[in-house]
Amino acid sequence: MSDWITITIDGKEIQAKPGELLVDAAARAGIHIPVFCYHPKLDPLGACRMCLVEAEGRRGKMLITACTTPVADGGVYYYESERAVDARQGTLELILINHPLDCPICDKGGECPLQDQTLEHGPGKSHFWEEKNHKAKHYPLSDLIMLDQERCIVCWRCIRYLEEWEDKPQLGLFHRGGETVIDKFPDGKLDAYTSGSIIDICPVGALTNRLARFSYRPWELEKTPSICTHCGMGCNLRIDSRTHRIRRNVARENAAVNDEWICDKGRFAMGFASHPERLQEPLARINGELRPVSWPEALDRVVRGLKRVVETHGPAAVAAIGSAKLSNEANYLLAKFMRGVVGSNNLDFREGSAVVADPRGIPSLADARDADVIVLMGCDPGEEMPVLANFLKRAVLRGGAKMIIVHPRAIELTQYAAAFINPTIGAESAAFDALTRATLDASDAIIPDWLPEVEEAAQVAGISVEDVREAARLLSQAKRPFIVYGVDYAWGYGARNLVTALTNWVVAAGHGERLGFLHSQANALGAADMGMAPDRLPGHRPLSDARARRELEARWQTEIPTQPGLSYGAMMASTPDRIRALYLMGADPVGEKPADAKALAELDFLVVQDMFLTESAKLADVVLPAASYAESRGTFTNTERRVQRAPQAVRTVGKSVADWAILMHLARRYAPDKKDAWDTPSVDAIFAEIAEVVPAYRGMSWENLGESGQQWPRDAVSLSRELRPHSGAAIPPSPDYPFRLVVGSLLWDGGTVFAATPQMAGLARQAAWLHPDDAARLGVQEGDAIEIRSRGGSIRTFAHLDPSIKPGSVFAPYSFPAAPVGNLFDDYVPRTSVAIEKVT
Amino acid sequence: MSGLKDVYESAREIGKAMGLTLKTLATEKPITVEYPDQPMAVYPRFRGRHELRRYENGMERCIGCCLCEAACPTGAIYVEAEENDPDNPISPGERHAKVYEVNLLRCIFCGDCERACPTEAIVLGHYIDLASYDRRDFILTKEDLLNPPEPNTIIRPAG
Repeated sequence: MSDWITITIDGKEIQAKPGELLVDAAARAGIHIPVFCYHPKLDPLGACRMCLVEAEGRRGKMLITACTTPVADGGVYYYESERAVDARQGTLELILINHPLDCPICDKGGECPLQDQTLEHGPGKSHFWEEKNHKAKHYPLSDLIMLDQERCIVCWRCIRYLEEWEDKPQLGLFHRGGETVIDKFPDGKLDAYTSGSIIDICPVGALTNRLARFSYRPWELEKTPSICTHCGMGCNLRIDSRTHRIRRNVARENAAVNDEWICDKGRFAMGFASHPERLQEPLARINGELRPVSWPEALDRVVRGLKRVVETHGPAAVAAIGSAKLSNEANYLLAKFMRGVVGSNNLDFREGSAVVADPRGIPSLADARDADVIVLMGCDPGEEMPVLANFLKRAVLRGGAKMIIVHPRAIELTQYAAAFINPTIGAESAAFDALTRATLDASDAIIPDWLPEVEEAAQVAGISVEDVREAARLLSQAKRPFIVYGVDYAWGYGARNLVTALTNWVVAAGHGERLGFLHSQANALGAADMGMAPDRLPGHRPLSDARARRELEARWQTEIPTQPGLSYGAMMASTPDRIRALYLMGADPVGEKPADAKALAELDFLVVQDMFLTESAKLADVVLPAASYAESRGTFTNTERRVQRAPQAVRTVGKSVADWAILMHLARRYAPDKKDAWDTPSVDAIFAEIAEVVPAYRGMSWENLGESGQQWPRDAVSLSRELRPHSGAAIPPSPDYPFRLVVGSLLWDGGTVFAATPQMAGLARQAAWLHPDDAARLGVQEGDAIEIRSRGGSIRTFAHLDPSIKPGSVFAPYSFPAAPVGNLFDDYVPRTSVAIEKVT
Repeated sequence: MSGLKDVYESAREIGKAMGLTLKTLATEKPITVEYPDQPMAVYPRFRGRHELRRYENGMERCIGCCLCEAACPTGAIYVEAEENDPDNPISPGERHAKVYEVNLLRCIFCGDCERACPTEAIVLGHYIDLASYDRRDFILTKEDLLNPPEPNTIIRPAG
């Protein structure tokens, strides 16, 4: 305790940390000084004066704000003194002069710090009887947030959050004194991706959730601690429901993952759960038409359909596609069903085995927050993981971290980058060769003979040598770097070489162990852990590992085929030739690539297990209605290997059933003799089996995962990182297809899950982004309809001109149903070349 | 000795009571009400079937704040609120009740909802014909509550 100092509050001696704020020290001792403007995650301001206490000073006792005063050794403070109590009562009375008495219709009423503190610290009566000030009520700040200026007590929390965490000062104070109001700036927008956080931290009902408006009162909510499944970060949130309808999502604190913030997609895009188009009952194709059938009949039809294909074409003609958006349990059981019951290794998911990912994800999300150098390669946290992006911005702005970005286009975080490297698309591996060489040149390491000179490689990659040397120097000198690469550089032609090249750089800089892959989907890491891969068993053990196979065979009462299966792309390409039956769980290949509808329609048997009647489901022989993650129990593993719980929050829709339960019943019907292997009547039991089968999960159980999850040890999967030559020659563009296609995710996409929240429809904007010079050459203007063609197919969309796009490339975001970029992919992977034409 | 005294005392008390009965029988008319042929007399603060009231201009008083629901000791009330269309408001202000249901089978007619209501929208009226052959009839919808039937009661003068 030598680092601690002693202070006195109301005659009681308490221990405090030097430099700590009085309000925090007091709270630790059980004295909860009331606050409005103070928030532990924001800088102290002292705007509201609610925390007045008396302090003993050289000139006697004086009133000070406890939220801005660092404790002094031996300091003497009075919280309960008459003057302090009187000052706080006066402050509260003043705050309440103009605060409207509309608590009964205020969404904050019932969980409102102003209400609570008025009850606890207020004077009980007011000297004021004059008319209250009138300002704007129900004033929409954006599609998502409603402002009531009358209720605002000018604490600045929202303003400070946007400045300190988002670095987007989008709200300000206007006018003075009692007329002061919060507002957007003239012509400004409130469009920060985590803007909803200001609703959570508003101490009054000034900022409220527009989508949840008037749909709940806080005391009547059922509160389920859960997680978000929109991206691979796995932010912790709480699902608040009533009458089995999700009313709102609010952030839940998990210091290791999301601190206490969630992004607006996680907060607001929850319409999928109670969407009217959710599948209500099983459907089967009878006389060419999908008609409702009972569950037993639907399952029997699946069993018969799959068995018929197995009998005529063999088990290898059956394939299954899982989903990185579904739980570990669902993916595990699908893999178990395919390998253990059907007898096929044709297992994969979109962005599954084709992505050259590090199965261990990233070392840790917390590393991002105290990193000294941040390296982002082919990933865009600004659009994919806004909460992480805020951590990174803060690391740069407050921690002085240096950010290095290597990306096919300028992204939002580029403005924070110390070095932005924008290599020619198709020649990225040369850029990393240049970085590797520059790193080795500056050290006394032996330089492999296959590594080109910096100048030569930089020229191939079309980047400046100075940038390369600067980036190489920064990373070499880093002490605590946060180094990640993303799907943009890990998927598609040449990705394997590209990942080798970028790994070389990180290894050369001496940080091989700190390199990680940032999974963009909620359970991409978990699905791979569960063995949703054509050549990997659960726990990333290769299919060729006889011991691993024997262990599973004993448990699954089966024999696992040794022949590796087909990957997603290969499955789709060999449909309907080699693949005659397909089982889709939460996957919609036709939605991704409408051109595949014909092949899927020719299958002998197609089963779709989904929440909605997707484009693929419309072609199915049997459609099984699945519960959403909020309606079923499950575990998800985020990109830092953290296994987290998502308990059931609301009941299922119609006759829909949780994915795991569908698979369990299906397997029991398919193979009654393997009943014992399928005696998994609950998620807890399945997770217990996973914990035994997947070595990295050993020792975990539903209970001991707790509310903040557990990380599996990074060394549970070993990966050697060393300098390796690669054959990543630059891929020249073809004259017929002069543009490089850059794909990527936008937060506001048009995908199934997002589109199910109609109030957010105005946020998504379908477009392909072009450089103005390219556009001028094509005669294309902002908003013009354009057609993008590749060898594989074409899409139609609208042009958006943006100078941040590299000339010669076009950026087409995923997940817009009207412009499915999957149509452009060759062999189901991105990184292709396209031609663009104006549609007249 | 004391046993005999008890018997005598008891007989005297019974005699007094019977005397009162006989006196009342002779002097007062019977008070049995032939309900429902005759209206029932209730006191002004009698707590009968619930009603939702309107303002004089026809606007609903209920703002959907759910405080009645929170105050209800038996969970007999269910409210879903909704935002008012500013051009066509249902109640003054921003919010109104989209759904308002009272489950009379659960209700104990305690009147806590009345006391919790900040706008005097929900009140317990004087209607008492609550019997039905169908359990579903005991769920009063907002429509039922806004249009209460004429009570078959007369108000007894206070005091």
